[in-house]
Amino acid sequence: MSPLFIAQAVLTLFVFVMLLNSAAVMVYVERKVAGMLQQRLGPYLVGPKGVLQPLADVVKLMFKEELRPRAADAFLFALAPIISATCAFAAFAVVPFGAETTFFGLLREPMKLQVADVNVAVLVIFAIASMGVYGIVLAGWSANSKYSLLGGLRSSAQMISYELSYGTALAAVLVMANSMSLTAIVEKQAGAWHLFGWPLLPRWFVFPQIVGFLVFMTAGIAETNRAPFDFPEAEQELVAGYHTEYSSMSFAMFFLAEYINMVTVSAVATDLYLGGWQGPFADSIGWIWFLTKVAALLFFYVWMRWTLPRYRYDQLMAFGWKVLLPVSVVNLLATAAGVLYFGA
Amino acid sequence: MAPEIFAFYAFGAVAITASLLVIAQRNPIYSVLLLIASFGALSGLYVLLDAPFVAAIQIIVYAGAIMVLFLFVVMLLNAPHEETDYDERVHPLLRPGPMRFGAALAVLLVVELVWALGRGGETGSFPGGAVTSVTDVGRALFTDYAFPFEVTSILILVAMLGAVVLARREERG
Repeated sequence: MSPLFIAQAVLTLFVFVMLLNSAAVMVYVERKVAGMLQQRLGPYLVGPKGVLQPLADVVKLMFKEELRPRAADAFLFALAPIISATCAFAAFAVVPFGAETTFFGLLREPMKLQVADVNVAVLVIFAIASMGVYGIVLAGWSANSKYSLLGGLRSSAQMISYELSYGTALAAVLVMANSMSLTAIVEKQAGAWHLFGWPLLPRWFVFPQIVGFLVFMTAGIAETNRAPFDFPEAEQELVAGYHTEYSSMSFAMFFLAEYINMVTVSAVATDLYLGGWQGPFADSIGWIWFLTKVAALLFFYVWMRWTLPRYRYDQLMAFGWKVLLPVSVVNLLATAAGVLYFGA
Repeated sequence: MAPEIFAFYAFGAVAITASLLVIAQRNPIYSVLLLIASFGALSGLYVLLDAPFVAAIQIIVYAGAIMVLFLFVVMLLNAPHEETDYDERVHPLLRPGPMRFGAALAVLLVVELVWALGRGGETGSFPGGAVTSVTDVGRALFTDYAFPFEVTSILILVAMLGAVVLARREERG
């Protein structure tokens, strides 16, 4: 049991617990921001300003009865929420959230603030995201209910369609950074973009890749099934979509997965486009920069949900295939040409 | 036992068991899921072979994209259980027509496998060493293998166009 191993185990546990916490925080933020946008108070009774509301929600969910339709496939019905939640947690494993640190001299060698530094991190995130689809599809199928099945089918069609633009937008960043490791990509974004020798903007990829960033965030919202792309759970049409038949903690797992996926997409976007932990004094307080940027993106997510109405299904497909995908392909080609011309 | 060896046997066992179960049980949804599990285990083996790129692609392309389509088809056809119109107590080799042919093919496959595995011994190593970096894969794909790569793309394009043409409903006007 080397100290580094213990540190790694502690770090893994820490990330796990923090992701759980982030879901709780997001539930609170979502309800508060929704309240603000709709000119009402939002939760305010449980704890000061209602901050303990997520806790109350969890207790409520725990004490609900676990229901399963008689015609459901018992094994897959139980497996689906587990797949969803597992994939949501697993994807964060390769996301770096701070510069290497020794924890103020506590460790002899500096440790990476990242569970696993994989040199194909971007692809791993992509792979895990594509596994996450199964949670939703299986939930839809195993419940043996037409609303669930339609929700599951819609979701998979949507995720497959938007995965393409998502990947193509992201590939442009890989071309600019010349690496697939998220750590290396963040390190490439240190410093500033210069104009006539003057530092103008932080050297984040969002500035040359503004088109890519917009495509990435749009596709990211669609990937996480959030409004205005929340077709899998369109309440008016499908009751609750793929999780219509779920109750109690298995419903909570889908809920958890949705919020953690949001956090992961925001964290990946921060690393790819917003310079990760880069900022003044990044060596000591890099993680604060990281958290600030992720929080800003998450707020954007919530803001979008309560501002924009849901698309129509054909609009969603037309937008994904006829607008987002061509734009991201042209963006990739232009980036590649630029990198070739200017020599990165 | 070294961790790598242990992981190798664990992944191998999962891959083989899952592959066998794909054909050994009747519910097509479970077959698809077991095939995904088998692909996952294969991807683990690729990681052990120092090829994380291939491992990730295995998951994205096969376990992710292709199997989702499989699952789609199975779900839409809504065939929860395979129907059998023959007497299951009769040995496969004694059943009529194509079934007997299939059984004979299966026996042949087993014999071939046993023969191939029995030769064993020298397995040789990769001529080019480990191809670990994405750069190497990309360079090989677009220089040495550029022609086969492009031909494959065109083949897939033709297949896609063919599917569109075949699936398109005739417009009557």
